[in-house]
Amino acid sequence: MPTLPDGTIEAAEVWKRFRSDDRPSYLQDQLARVRDRLSGNFRPSYRWALSDINVRAEPGESWGLVGANGAGKSTLLKILSRVMYPTAGRVDVAGRVGALIEVRAGISPLLTGRENIYLTGSIMGIKRRDVTRRFDEIVAFAELDKAIDRQVKFYSSGMQMRLGFGVAAFLEPDVLLVDEVLAVGDATFQQRCLDRIRAVLHEGSTLFFVSHDLAAVEATCKNGIWVANGTIQTIGPIRDVLTAYRGAVEGEAVESRQQITGRLSIRDVTAASPDGSLPSTGGPLEVNLTIEAPHEHRVWIYLGVSEGAATPIFLLNPGRETILPAGPTNVRCEIPSLPLPSGRFYVWAGVYEHWEGGTELVPWQPLTRFEVYGPKLDNAPPAVVRLVPLHIDSSWDIDRAA
Amino acid sequence: MRELWDFRELVMTLAERDLRVRYKQAVLGIAWAVLTPLAMMIVFTVVFTQVGHINAHTNGAPYALFAYLGLLAWTFFASAVTTGGMSLVGNLGLLNKLYCPREVFPIAAMLDAAADALIGTVVLLVLFPITGYAPKPEAYFVPLLLIPLVAFTLGVTMAVSSIVVFMRDLRLLLPLVIQLGLFVTPVIYSSATFIKSKSLLIVYSFLNPLAPVLDGLRRTVLQGLAPSWGPLAAGTVASFLTLYVGFVLFKRLETGIADVA
Repeated sequence: MPTLPDGTIEAAEVWKRFRSDDRPSYLQDQLARVRDRLSGNFRPSYRWALSDINVRAEPGESWGLVGANGAGKSTLLKILSRVMYPTAGRVDVAGRVGALIEVRAGISPLLTGRENIYLTGSIMGIKRRDVTRRFDEIVAFAELDKAIDRQVKFYSSGMQMRLGFGVAAFLEPDVLLVDEVLAVGDATFQQRCLDRIRAVLHEGSTLFFVSHDLAAVEATCKNGIWVANGTIQTIGPIRDVLTAYRGAVEGEAVESRQQITGRLSIRDVTAASPDGSLPSTGGPLEVNLTIEAPHEHRVWIYLGVSEGAATPIFLLNPGRETILPAGPTNVRCEIPSLPLPSGRFYVWAGVYEHWEGGTELVPWQPLTRFEVYGPKLDNAPPAVVRLVPLHIDSSWDIDRAA
Repeated sequence: MRELWDFRELVMTLAERDLRVRYKQAVLGIAWAVLTPLAMMIVFTVVFTQVGHINAHTNGAPYALFAYLGLLAWTFFASAVTTGGMSLVGNLGLLNKLYCPREVFPIAAMLDAAADALIGTVVLLVLFPITGYAPKPEAYFVPLLLIPLVAFTLGVTMAVSSIVVFMRDLRLLLPLVIQLGLFVTPVIYSSATFIKSKSLLIVYSFLNPLAPVLDGLRRTVLQGLAPSWGPLAAGTVASFLTLYVGFVLFKRLETGIADVA
């Protein structure tokens, strides 16, 4: 086998299966298998968590893994970290792996923070004196101060996570695997983690980053993998992967819309430019819909435009309560200048009773989608998280100062 | 194997951690390493010499020394298998998050047991002048006897540690088996007490590789004789066979550890 340069990850035709859920123990599984064979009714006693995964990451690359819960992201990460063995296929990881699979990665509660740092270091295969060299940095990053000589079981969950991340990210890993751990920390710490991840990338490490925070993934990773049902749906530049993923999530939401019925119903929804053509960046957008009410209602109407899930890029409402008479009412909303870059977007809507705390008459849900033509969104600098895709016109003057 | 060598520092760190954790939480601390075999020696000495009147075939050596020497080796085996057997299950949190060769955990547990045995040996050196009995120069055979002891202990520890992950029942069964083991092994008596025939002794040594080790320890240190080569050879072969089987089993089962944890 040719030796790969440190930081290379190669997974070829990786499959992983788990035993079926009603036979959790090995013994039970083996007994059930014998019973099945004797009685002649075969049923699969396993489920596939990953099928035919092929990934190759070169040193210094940054990969984001996205996908729904249970899609197999964490399983894939565990296999890449060699903690879990694939059922079939080959995984090669060259170099030192720093893994942060769960919040308290590799922390032993009975030891002090100091002992834990050395223990994790030696698990990663790092010499004691090399750990000593980075020791102060880790303690400073984790903001532990004197607590470093306290047993970890007395740490708060935030301290444990900071220590776990600090150890994984400061011990010069060739490969850094990070699984949805930043969600626990506060906003400042998340930003420091992202900064640290960027620094690790800058030092030439390879990164695999699993997160549901798509903005953070986009800001951190150049490449992406969208995993669904244990298979790779899309692999490539992060922007393409996220577009495909968001599209699928929204598509699902739009599909399921028919089943949700509030106390009012909405129909005949369109979103287009007023002359019927496709909307463009900076051009007008007109949303039309009809609300059917069984009797008179005084309501608040909200419209939202989103790219991701239920969180809109911006929200609109008429600014006053609306009186809906019994029967159908046409609602028209025009945005004179659409601040969206090219891409696919979705119109969400919700109708609520007019008083504070009133019940929702139509729950917040996607109604339709529309394409926008125009300039593509600029790439953000590394580790800068852009919350929403907006296109804002700007003019610049850059002159040499006199 | 090469990889294991690269992780030797980890093995030491783990062994040190377990020692630390074990003795840090106990008020008596490291004294426990001495107290356990000492207490058992006293119990067996009282039982054998005062109550039972059984001939342990010590061949003139004080029974206290005879029993202590046996218990020292037996305690090494028993505690390595007990703690080492639980070493994977007990470290699942670590195993599931960071990669390292899994062998380090049972090996570290065995090193811990060895550290305890070393402390116990210091006590033995004190026991000699107390009982007024001097060790024989043939004690230089001891390293030779330790080879099958370590091989057998490691083999059993690795097998148990990997099986326990999949069959937790074994965890409850293990103390019972260890208890029984104390009586089917010549710890507190000599093999000669029950087995007279030479060929039977070889078969017994093959089935229980600890027997020739324990007998040999007493023969060399207390009686000044060379080990009985026939049984020792049989035991050594069986020990390495056990080590091989334990290692292969471990390698096979370790692939599934992360799935069941």
